[in-house]
Amino acid sequence: MAVPVTAATEPVRPVSARHFVRLKLRVMANNFRGQSWRVALFVAGVFVGVWFAVGGFLLLAAPGFAGEPRYALLAAAFGGGLLVLGWLLLPLVFFGVDETLDPARFALLPLPRRTLVGGMFAAAVVSVPVVATLIATTGLVVTAGALGGAVAGLVAAVGVVAGLLLCVAASRAVTSAFATMLRSRRVRDLAAVLLAVVAALFGPLQIMVLAAVREADWDRLVEVAAVVGWTPFGAPWTVGLDVAGGRAWAVPVKLLITAAAIGALLLWWSRSLESAMVGAAGAAPAKPRRGPVGGAVGQLFPRVLGGVRRDRFGALVARECRYWWRDARRRANLITLAVVGVFVPVLVNLGGNGFAVSPDQGFESSGSSSPVMLSVSMLTVGVLASVTLANQFGFDGSAYAANVVAGVPGRLELHARMAAFSVYVVPMLGVVAVLIAAILGEPGWIGVAAGTLLAAYGAGLAINGLVSVLGAYSLPETSNPFAMNTGAGMAKSLLTVLSMAGSAAAAVPMVVAAALLGASWLWLALPLGVAYGLGAALLGAYIGGDVLDRRQPELLATVTPRR
Amino acid sequence: MTGEHSALALRGLAKSFDGKVAVAGVDLDVPAGSFFGLLGPNGAGKTTSLSMAVGLLRPDQGRAWVLGHDVWGDPVRAKRLLGVMPDGVRLFDRLSGGELLAYHGLLRGMDPAVVDQRAAELLDVLALADAGRTLVVDYSAGMKKKIGLACALLHGPRLLVLDEPFEAVDPVSAALIRDILHRYVVGGGTVVFSSHVMEVVERLCSHVAILADGTIKRVGTLDEVRGERRLEEVFVEAVGGRTATGEELSWLSR
Ligand SMILES: Nc1ncnc2c1ncn2[C@@H]1O[C@H](COP(=O)(O)OP(=O)(O)OP(=O)(O)O)[C@@H](O)[C@H]1O
Ligand SMILES: [Mg+2]
Repeated sequence: MAVPVTAATEPVRPVSARHFVRLKLRVMANNFRGQSWRVALFVAGVFVGVWFAVGGFLLLAAPGFAGEPRYALLAAAFGGGLLVLGWLLLPLVFFGVDETLDPARFALLPLPRRTLVGGMFAAAVVSVPVVATLIATTGLVVTAGALGGAVAGLVAAVGVVAGLLLCVAASRAVTSAFATMLRSRRVRDLAAVLLAVVAALFGPLQIMVLAAVREADWDRLVEVAAVVGWTPFGAPWTVGLDVAGGRAWAVPVKLLITAAAIGALLLWWSRSLESAMVGAAGAAPAKPRRGPVGGAVGQLFPRVLGGVRRDRFGALVARECRYWWRDARRRANLITLAVVGVFVPVLVNLGGNGFAVSPDQGFESSGSSSPVMLSVSMLTVGVLASVTLANQFGFDGSAYAANVVAGVPGRLELHARMAAFSVYVVPMLGVVAVLIAAILGEPGWIGVAAGTLLAAYGAGLAINGLVSVLGAYSLPETSNPFAMNTGAGMAKSLLTVLSMAGSAAAAVPMVVAAALLGASWLWLALPLGVAYGLGAALLGAYIGGDVLDRRQPELLATVTPRR
Repeated sequence: MTGEHSALALRGLAKSFDGKVAVAGVDLDVPAGSFFGLLGPNGAGKTTSLSMAVGLLRPDQGRAWVLGHDVWGDPVRAKRLLGVMPDGVRLFDRLSGGELLAYHGLLRGMDPAVVDQRAAELLDVLALADAGRTLVVDYSAGMKKKIGLACALLHGPRLLVLDEPFEAVDPVSAALIRDILHRYVVGGGTVVFSSHVMEVVERLCSHVAILADGTIKRVGTLDEVRGERRLEEVFVEAVGGRTATGEELSWLSR
């Protein structure tokens, strides 16, 4: 380590953002070394990114080609606003942030905070999602150029760059702040609730979008877009159109708004960065835990597992149960799952008639649901619940060595993990089923809801059991529950999509039955669904356990983070 | 079958990472009832060899037997006789010390009452009882080593494989651990451990092996290996060490 012992006598060369960017690129390259699958995943990620980027580009550039200033404003304000919102929320709920440069590693270096934040920010900008967003938002430049000439295009380009910086700053500040809060012993539970609220924000947001699209009152939408254009969400994206529309005076003001927002976010980030640097070690609850006192075995088992046998299976289940609650990373997953699990079905059944078989009746007719639609939404929730386990061994990291040394049989391992997760999820699914039936005012549909949920969940457990053995990847050993390794974000997304598609396909019979069987399905669904889910899960553990027995050491190697 | 009478027998174990050879064919026989020290400089391949010997890392080549049971062919029997404390591996550290011991005990198929009794005893002896229900993640480095050792001992294995058991442990605890291990060997168990602390090895071991660059350079009883000299001299000679000339690092002194 190059700690300048003789700092007083030797000139110290200043550290600039360039060093951080180079460091990040070097770490990324080293991560790829000798790991061709990582390179493959990265390339796949680039392709997916480019695909979405080109799609976004066409959407944003279309109003320009069509010569429609009104649509251009809508696209810029709402499209850009959604982009910022996505950068703000998606890392928290779904993707995590790329923490190639872990702030804790800089704790010992004599760097001023400004340098550190500036450098980390610059490094964060160098990433595939940023490039993809840049490509997509170039559409705005094209639109502005087509409508207002070269000057408008140029101003739009400046706006787009500012907007991108805003996106990155927002995602960093928010994930870092949440990580700090989840780490802190005092506000941990508050943070959990907040995270739930954030996840829940997706709900109203979708309602608003759907309602807006359905109302299709363009004049009012344009007014709203104009207002959004004056908030940080829309300001950077609309400056080009202002020039085109002859409101050049608005440009400096909007750019100032953006700059102020970026500054505030970076300031916020630098605060939590500091605590991330020093507080890397303890991520545990400190509250004196009560529970059955007495022997060590009694302490291991949570009270809900009072009746479980004190043997190998019991120990595995008890340990997993403890971990789902004590490990911040797992807990964040559980919380988002709980919230999304309630909101998705409510939205699908009340708001979105996208799936509806009945004719389009508009947003007000809230009773337009049907058992088929209910089944589809329940299937989604069941699949979402089970996909949490897609990298279940990655959560353990190298600690999984204990199970390898003890020679835990694969099937036992998978059974126990499924059982422990179900201790949390099955009651939750029950609540979802009852809640949705109550909201729809159709108590008779509880059976269909619960049956489909459990069938999809069970089928998902089977698929994800297998995926977790074959497609595990390591998670970084930092205190940030949202952190991902380079390329792991891509691995995560790909695996998630794959296993969700697989699980959904495996549960489709429940939807088909709902469509074909009519009234008798209302009471057949629950017993058949439970049997189907249980059977699928057991079959999955049977096959997956065999695979696990054969590749235990390989699995351990893949989930062990390289340091 | 080879090594019927050895507590641990390794034959031609080899492993390379991305084309870089970490262990290049290690043969080793650890007699039952011996206290075996595996010595070697940093990066010699000690951790890699021991991981392959206990079933944590699949070797590219070679085999390993624990008391006659093939670790990679018949892992269930072999692992039952084995207690392991790996290095550089996390414990399930979101559990308290007691919980962790209970987990390990039950995982080994032990009776809950026995687990309770032994866990209490181990925590007491290793001075970890005071930590109460503190989670292991909040333990100090030395405490983590000690609880790891307790986990390896809990089910009364016939062979103990310990990777750097004395690292980060204070002198009092180190003496305690030495005592425990000594009693364990006197009682018929076998200990294999890696270390680079010569004093500990000279004091404890009946047998030593020196590993460098992925191959065994010296092996035998302590007296065979060291002969008339100090173990440290033999070690430096076997490893091909260097001494600082005094020219380099002049900037360290002002
Ligand atoms: N997972 C890995 N990937 C790549 N190389 C590795 C890996 N594990 C070990 N190595 C390499 O193998 C060699 C032997 O490492 P090992 O950990 O076995 O050494 P050691 O003798 O235990 O050293 P120490 O005394 O420092 O613990 C080293 O050169 C190391 O760089
Ligand atoms: Mg080592």
